[in-house]
Amino acid sequence: MANAKKSQALPEGGQWPDTIAFWATLAGAVLTTIGFLMAFFYAGPVNGATVDGLPEMIGGQMVSSKLLLSQKIFYFHMPVAIVSFAALAFAGYYSIRFLMTKNQRYDTCAKVAMEISLVFVICTMITGDLWTRFEWGVWWTWDPRLTTYLILMLIIIAYFVLRNFIDEPERRSVYSAVISIIALVDVPICLMITRMIPSSIHPVVLREGGMTGDMGMTVGVCMIGMILLGFGMYRLRFRQVRLAQRVQALKDELEEN
Amino acid sequence: MNPVLAEIYSTILPSAPYIVAAYALMWLVLLIYVVMIVRNLKKTEAQMSILEEQVAELRVRSK
Repeated sequence: MANAKKSQALPEGGQWPDTIAFWATLAGAVLTTIGFLMAFFYAGPVNGATVDGLPEMIGGQMVSSKLLLSQKIFYFHMPVAIVSFAALAFAGYYSIRFLMTKNQRYDTCAKVAMEISLVFVICTMITGDLWTRFEWGVWWTWDPRLTTYLILMLIIIAYFVLRNFIDEPERRSVYSAVISIIALVDVPICLMITRMIPSSIHPVVLREGGMTGDMGMTVGVCMIGMILLGFGMYRLRFRQVRLAQRVQALKDELEEN
Repeated sequence: MNPVLAEIYSTILPSAPYIVAAYALMWLVLLIYVVMIVRNLKKTEAQMSILEEQVAELRVRSK
């Protein structure tokens, strides 16, 4: 009875989150599309360097600075980065649960969360790098935020490399859990680095009060959309991985008989 | 064009390719991952139904 209760508490494909996963993914796709449209048609442009000469009237407003279109990347760059951190937090949680219980199911959850995190880290890197190339004129700079985020990405890649190199499931799961926790430790460092090192050239938009209401609303819509997409992708992948594990177990059983 | 307006809009066009590339590549990464999961899921479901049939056959034989 106690075992039955315990197994019910374990994450499994087909549980209630899967019933809302499809709708979450759909809502995520709709919200991110709305967010994309809002970024270009609702949120006002950001002003850059002041121009020489008299201000010009544009859209009912006096403008005396260069208008920056590159800032539009930010509306998706920040949400994907936040989702990558959230996925890492879940991976860390499941890794700790695995180390406490030694139940392989938690290792599966952690692995899927790490995969989602890697996908969103790649998205963050792409959007960030293209912005850096245009605004700073370089593809890469050793800015503290960029450096800590690169370290984070390398830790996640190391996690998957390690998983492929160790055949013994128990050892593989333990080592992977440790790496996942190390990645989790890097998350707050990565988040707070721009505040800890004030010389960092990475913008700290929230602290500097650089967001107007329309910008905040746009980021909010994109953020909710990306969180829903991340959740939907996690559940879909988890369902597939669990099904594959059950197929393998069934194959092994058939071969034995 | 008015030189002040030209300066105000001077970064818009040069930055456009980077913005388009950022959004396109980001959506491409997400789309590839979702397509990969759905394909694997369909493949695994097909494998599962074959195995279930095999198990059912074995049960009939063993009776």
